[in-house]
Amino acid sequence: MNHKIKDSKIDIFSTISIIAALLVIFLMGSALLAIIVRGAPDFVHALKSEEVRFAIRLSSVTATASTILCMIFAIPASYALTRTAMPFKGPASILLELTLSMPFLLLGLSLLIIFSSDFGKGLRDIGFAVVFSPLGIVMAQLVINLPFCIRMIRTAFSEVDERLEHIAQLLGASKFKSFMTVTLPLCRRLLITTFILTWSRALGEFGATLMLVGITRMKTETLPGCIYLNISTGNNGMAMATAMIVLLISTAALTLSNLFGLKKVHYRWGENT
Amino acid sequence: MYNHNSILEVQDYSVRRGDFKLDSISLSIKEREIFAVLGKSGAGKTVLLEAIAGFYPSSQGCVLINGTDVRKIPSQRRNIGFVYQDYGLFPNMTVRDNIAYGLKMRKCTRQDIETKTSRIMDLFSISHIASRLPGTISGGECQRTALARALILEPEILLLDEPFAALDYMTKKKMYKEVMKIHEQFTCTILFVTHDFHEAQLLADRVAIILDGQIKVIVDSKNLMQQNYNDEVEIFLGRKDI
Repeated sequence: MNHKIKDSKIDIFSTISIIAALLVIFLMGSALLAIIVRGAPDFVHALKSEEVRFAIRLSSVTATASTILCMIFAIPASYALTRTAMPFKGPASILLELTLSMPFLLLGLSLLIIFSSDFGKGLRDIGFAVVFSPLGIVMAQLVINLPFCIRMIRTAFSEVDERLEHIAQLLGASKFKSFMTVTLPLCRRLLITTFILTWSRALGEFGATLMLVGITRMKTETLPGCIYLNISTGNNGMAMATAMIVLLISTAALTLSNLFGLKKVHYRWGENT
Repeated sequence: MYNHNSILEVQDYSVRRGDFKLDSISLSIKEREIFAVLGKSGAGKTVLLEAIAGFYPSSQGCVLINGTDVRKIPSQRRNIGFVYQDYGLFPNMTVRDNIAYGLKMRKCTRQDIETKTSRIMDLFSISHIASRLPGTISGGECQRTALARALILEPEILLLDEPFAALDYMTKKKMYKEVMKIHEQFTCTILFVTHDFHEAQLLADRVAIILDGQIKVIVDSKNLMQQNYNDEVEIFLGRKDI
């Protein structure tokens, strides 16, 4: 039987994909353009504003602190979930995934309930005040980002062949040494990407922070909080100018993330000349 | 019952990996012996090697190295060299760093590491690729690097997983000589798995045939093709039609 392969000049599937991509770009681009168009006139004023500067400082410091904490908890937790015989791994994974899909506002409310209880008051008495304090912002960002961070790092660890760790151990490395010398270096790029993305998410966190610490001008005012306060007082220009600052910081972070993430890992096991 | 003449003994060992089961494996390997495990793909050859290396803590039966259950010996003190079919080189380290890894983990002096690494790289003719990453060298060079990395620690037992499967004919022939040289020079017991009858006969003292996770026959390599076996083994050896 003579089969003819249709030599179509137009690849319909690719065309549809490109149209879909352009639609998405148009939609997202419009939203970003609206921010830039409305924010540009007040941009310089916003940069000079003491309030916005305070928000930039607070957001940067809390986002950095919460991201470092996230990595400190997420790396060993991900290792436990991917490499050890930890009991109840399945339910633990589901629990983490569940919090990923919960509204941040609700997670913030849960934190408020926990830290307003006698336990929370006890913590406050020993100097660990979470509710209505900048520490609460770190806590909110931490709780929101931990599941995301663990998911990313778990993926990174899963991509490293466990046999490499076994070999390292047969060669004399302890489990910790094999982790530090083989697993971590092989995940380095993805870990850096995770750090940057987690930091960007922390910078933009609003719902949980609003519930747990509220937004008090020049006290617990993060960048998203500053935008919210400006909108609620009808100062949309200033709100959009602040949003432009968030946009610029996020663009820088995402560019960095892409730089690390897109670099081809040219040394994969089994790839030989 | 532990056989005192053997360096490695597998006693009624079973382990499940997903749908596959390594079933009641028993074998005994003498010191300085070259032992081949022959079987087709998916027969359980690599799982058996990994079991011997002690990679599966939850299993039935036991693997004894010099009379001690391998699971009770910390990985770093098992004195086993392992070379995977795809070499298992650390992709983030140069050839030199891969080879020196074991010595560094054992906290040898810098001078000692330098001397031993250079010597073994000369022996395997890979000094010229010392500073290259595994992803940028050929299969034969990867093979030599992996062997050098395992042998630099002078292991008692060397486990080789299909060591020649990915090599071309000429490189394969060279590597056969290399393995025999290793056996003479490093005085280690070698257990390798293969699907190549010729290879098993050429290199090994004894051969075990593994099919569907079970050892069917253990025989002197020179008698491999002389003896009669049951239908399953005869079919595997290609002496009987399916």
